[in-house]
Amino acid sequence: MPSGTVRQELTDDQRREVFARDALPYLDPLYSAALRYTRNPADAEDLVQETFAKAYRAFHQYEPGTNLRAWLYRILANTYINSYRKRQRQPAPVSVDAHRDGLSDGSDFSLYDRIAATTQAPAEVEFLRQLPDDEVKQALADLPEQFRMAVYLADVEGFSYAEIAEIMDSPIGTVMSRLHRGRAALHRALYDYAAARGLLPATTDDAGGSSDDE
Amino acid sequence: MNEECREVLDRLEIYLDGETQFDLEVAIQHHLQDCPPCLDRAEFERELRALVAAKCRDCAPPGLLARIRIRLTAVG
Repeated sequence: MPSGTVRQELTDDQRREVFARDALPYLDPLYSAALRYTRNPADAEDLVQETFAKAYRAFHQYEPGTNLRAWLYRILANTYINSYRKRQRQPAPVSVDAHRDGLSDGSDFSLYDRIAATTQAPAEVEFLRQLPDDEVKQALADLPEQFRMAVYLADVEGFSYAEIAEIMDSPIGTVMSRLHRGRAALHRALYDYAAARGLLPATTDDAGGSSDDE
Repeated sequence: MNEECREVLDRLEIYLDGETQFDLEVAIQHHLQDCPPCLDRAEFERELRALVAAKCRDCAPPGLLARIRIRLTAVG
């Protein structure tokens, strides 16, 4: 492969220059992802530094023209699993129960239906805009890791199913299931945060209040 | 809500993810054009994702980029 040959002929300085130009612009999104993995800024910084160091060492294996962004996220995921996951204290998140994969079964929750049932009108997302960023981040952080990262990679980073499968080293069907259940759990949590802040749309009748039973 | 609505809503998540086959994607687009309730729901889900995305982005702390550059020199 010509490009491989070219790559090997690069001097250290040139290689560093190419890496800095192509990979370092992903610093902010990778830090953001690292923060979702580790859930604390100090570890996220270390994780990102280590990810770039590893990516740089492995840069000769990267094929120019292929998906550099997904390649970097894959290294981030592996670095996290190998070096950080063991150390993570897992303060039992609210959505975790005895279910084997750590997410209680609420995959049928639909925020749209819940709000529409309350207001007797088509649901709007407007009321959620007043939620502080920190509470939305916390709602995401409370999801078990596999669900949290699937939702983050899809909904925040816009990765495709195939890319997420590659990054998380999981079959596509598993990714789809995690996404579906992770989103349902996230939306339920957002509903609860909004309710706690009194942000929910007003009910059209005063009959039942906003009880949680179906 | 009719049978077609149910089929569309069943596939809405995958459709919004941009992961449906072309034929199905076109069929769903047509349905949404003609069905305000389904369109409402699709818009809601789309905006909800955009809202989560907007609120869950962080920037690297100042100085991190410089530290990484120094570390790369050491790795070199």
